[in-house]
Order: sequence, then C-alpha cells, then structure tokens
Amino acid sequence: MDQNIFQQAPHQILALGNHDEQMRQEFSKSFRQYIQNALLPGLSPVFEGRVTRKFEKEHGRVPADRHDIRKAMVTDSYFQTYASSTRIAQELLWSSVIDPLERDIDVLTEKAEALSAQSSAVLKTSEDFDVPRYVSAIDIHCMPGGYASSRSAKDIFAGALYDRGVYLYAMGFMGPDNDDMGRSVCNYIKRNLPDFEPEIILDMGCTIGHSTLPFKEEFPDAEVTGIDVAGPCIRYAHARAAAKGLNVGFLQENAEETSFADGSFDLIVSHILLHETSGKAMPRIFAECYRLLKPGGYMIHADLPPFGKMGPFMQFILDNETYYNNEPFWGAMREVDQIKLAREVGFAADTVRFDTAPMAVMELSEAEQAALTDREFVAGEYAPGGGWEVLIAQKGEAE
Amino acid sequence: MNAATEQTGTETPSPRHAKGKRPDFYAAEGMDEAMSMIMVLASELCTMRDRMDTVEQIALEKGIDLGAEIDDFSYSPKSLNQREERRQAFFNRLFYVTQKKALEQATEDSSERYQDVLRDTAKG
Repeated sequence: MDQNIFQQAPHQILALGNHDEQMRQEFSKSFRQYIQNALLPGLSPVFEGRVTRKFEKEHGRVPADRHDIRKAMVTDSYFQTYASSTRIAQELLWSSVIDPLERDIDVLTEKAEALSAQSSAVLKTSEDFDVPRYVSAIDIHCMPGGYASSRSAKDIFAGALYDRGVYLYAMGFMGPDNDDMGRSVCNYIKRNLPDFEPEIILDMGCTIGHSTLPFKEEFPDAEVTGIDVAGPCIRYAHARAAAKGLNVGFLQENAEETSFADGSFDLIVSHILLHETSGKAMPRIFAECYRLLKPGGYMIHADLPPFGKMGPFMQFILDNETYYNNEPFWGAMREVDQIKLAREVGFAADTVRFDTAPMAVMELSEAEQAALTDREFVAGEYAPGGGWEVLIAQKGEAE
Repeated sequence: MNAATEQTGTETPSPRHAKGKRPDFYAAEGMDEAMSMIMVLASELCTMRDRMDTVEQIALEKGIDLGAEIDDFSYSPKSLNQREERRQAFFNRLFYVTQKKALEQATEDSSERYQDVLRDTAKG
C-alpha cells in the first residue's frame, strides 16, 4: 500500500531543523496518520457494542445525544487510548517544531524582517493591540504560547511554529503550501460564480496567510489583504508572502470591528476562523462583513459542517476537539444557526446557504478525486469527505 | 485573574506547555504520564533508526564499512559531554506531562477554569 509521504514545500523562513528534529516531526505526522487509519475506525464498534450495552444496563435506554455518548465513552479503555494518543501526538508535534525554532528564531526573525522590507505590500501590527479573550484564555490547538503572544515588535515565533505545526497536523492533506482551503474556495467561486470577478478581497483570521495567498494567485489583478488578531502571525505572513513574491497586505485587526471603511470589499472570506471565536463575536463578525462589503459582494466562511448535518456519534467525535485540543468554541459554534445569523445582519435571505467546496488537493488527478471525494463525512478524520463546508451569502445590489 | 493566564514553560526560554488544563484520559493514576513517555520513547527510537538508515546509506554510497568502524570507535571527553547533554534534553521530553502537571499545580490551572472559559466563550 502507498504510504503518506507528503512533504511541505520549503521557503526561506520555514523552521525545519536538522535531521533528527525533522524525523521527530515526521514521527508526529506518522503517529497522527496511524491514529486516523488504525485507531479511529475502532471507535464505532466499541461504541455500538460494549459501551452501548453498559449504558443501557445503567440507564434503561440507549445513548440519546453526543453528551450521553461522551459520558459512556470516556470510561472505555479503547476510547481512552485513542483520545490519549491523539493528545500526545499533538504535544509531540509542537515540541518537535519548538526544538529547532528556539535555536533558530533570531536568524529567522532577521530573515523575515529583510523579506518584509523588500515588499511594497502593507504590514501593520501593534504591541498595544487588544487580543480578544477567546484567543488568549487558552492556548488554542494546545500550541504552547498561543497564537497571539508576542515577545517584541518584530517577533514571528508563533507564526513560524504554526506554519510547520499545522502542516504536520494536516498530515500534508492541505497541500505542500498548506493552502488547500483557500484554493478550494477559489475553485468554488470560479465554478459557481463565473461572472463574479472580485477586485478587492479580504481574508479574515488569516493567521500566516496559508489560505490568503491562493486568492492573489487565482485573482492576480485583485488587491488581497489578510487580517488577524495575532501580531507574530501577521508579521510572519507578510514575510512569507514576500518570500513567495506575492504582493499581499497583512494587518493586525479584529474581524469583529476593523478599521476599513464601509463598502471596501467585493469578497470577504475566512477559513476555519469562526470556530475560534465566540458566541458574541460571531454575530459581530457577520455584521462587520455586511458593513465592509460593496453591494452585490459575497461573504464566504469555510469551516467544518454544523452538528445538524451529522448524527450524534459523529458529533461526539468532532466534539473531542472541544475537550482535548483546547478548542473552547468548537462545540458551541456548531449549534449556532449561521443561516439565521447571516440573514439577521442584512444578507439577502435567498442567497444565504451552506454548500461544499471540493478539496483542491483531491483534484490533482481524476483517479485520486474519484477515490477520495466520494467518501462519506467521517468525523475525526482529517479532510473528511473530500470537501470543505462553506457558508455563502450575498449583500443585496440595492443596499 | 488566575496565574494560569500568564503561565509559560519553565524549562526553556520558549513555552513548552499549552495554557488550558490537560485532561486525564485514564482512571489509573500515572497512566497518562506513562503513555506520553512511551510515545516519546517510540519517537526517539524511530528517529535514531531513521538516522542510522541515513548514515548507513550515505556510507555505503561512499564504500565505507561502517560496522567495523563503529566497533573500533573510541570516545573523547567532548563527545561524552555532548552525549550527556543529549540525554538530559531527552529526559526533558520524556517527562513532558509530569512537568505540565506541576505547572498546572503551580499556576492553579484547572478543569474549573477550562469550563469557565467554555461557558464564557459561548456567551461572550
């Protein structure tokens, strides 16, 4: 059987490290692959068999929802080993990147500064920036130090850690540049909105611009800007774009309330942003998208499916991230009625919908596409079902 | 304000632990630490095996019989010192969870604080 030997595309500020450091990184990626291939599938029979029988004996009924399932599963030894292994893989992953990064950070920071200096694209960060609590209270994804903690006005540590770490997390399924979500949304727009040619594009919650850059590549004449609350990620994003020769601006801004004028953008996108926000922030972000869009402009948020689209066992598997991977809003976000929310802030009611954007990386060959995009959604697998869930809404022409 | 809000790792200049109470997966005391240690050991074993493989392949390309060379090798104080440094760094990785637990105790991070964040985040 062919193994997953995906490798990240190197660039000038990617922290790879020496031979052994890279092999530890590879180990964490292989461990995740093993958990997905060999441990995850065992959860269903364990749940349907001994766990359900035990629950029925104790409660006189079958588990009704994901909360029941969680209660029943957490005492099962198979689940314990699955969940513990997943957590340990995450810890090994970050450690394996921090090792080289800690040693090389000064050199990388200098390189990043030099790269940014070569770029004419705007870069704006501030050490006084007020990072929202939903980002700072817990280190999201168990990434030590979190996304937004900054050691200096030049610091890129969190950005560098995330760039390599998230590649390992995705096991390469996001493509060599980690940009599959952005690429998939671009493909979605070109196929489904063939007459829409956005000239000014905003990517909200862009971290280090993985998904931002495809918009510049696919719409080369457009002005593309990424925003995020994390200063070190924004600085890294700007330098990385410069290293790739792409003129994309990056600003430290909060998507709930940006400094842009009304009607500034034709297209506003986000990629796995919403589940890292909060119950109060989400409606504010939708309202801000509406304010920032020109009449006729589109808002597209790519994330994972809401709970309503899957059964309770799948919900339980997805919800493991809430409890074991420092994702405080992961579960709660999936119960928010996003369609209603988008309509409430003013988007034309009949344009608001969920859709699936097929994964760009799966379209590399027809054979691969046939094999992978026909799969059912399987929670807990990376890139389940071969597509990303997008929430799409259009601002009325007459606004 | 809770001390956990400001927590960072103590063993190196860069934080090594993520803010937010680490869940216990096993009922048996010590099992979570043991699992982490086992997987760190497995990682190191694989890494060393990969390195040996790389070395052997390079040597072979250059026509060197490494087996004999390794058996005849004698260690200098400098190489002994480097090895000891490597072993100590290895122990740091091996006792990762033990150190995280100590940090949570020292900084009063807890399940309660984690639940508070979940509740607060859903609302605001």
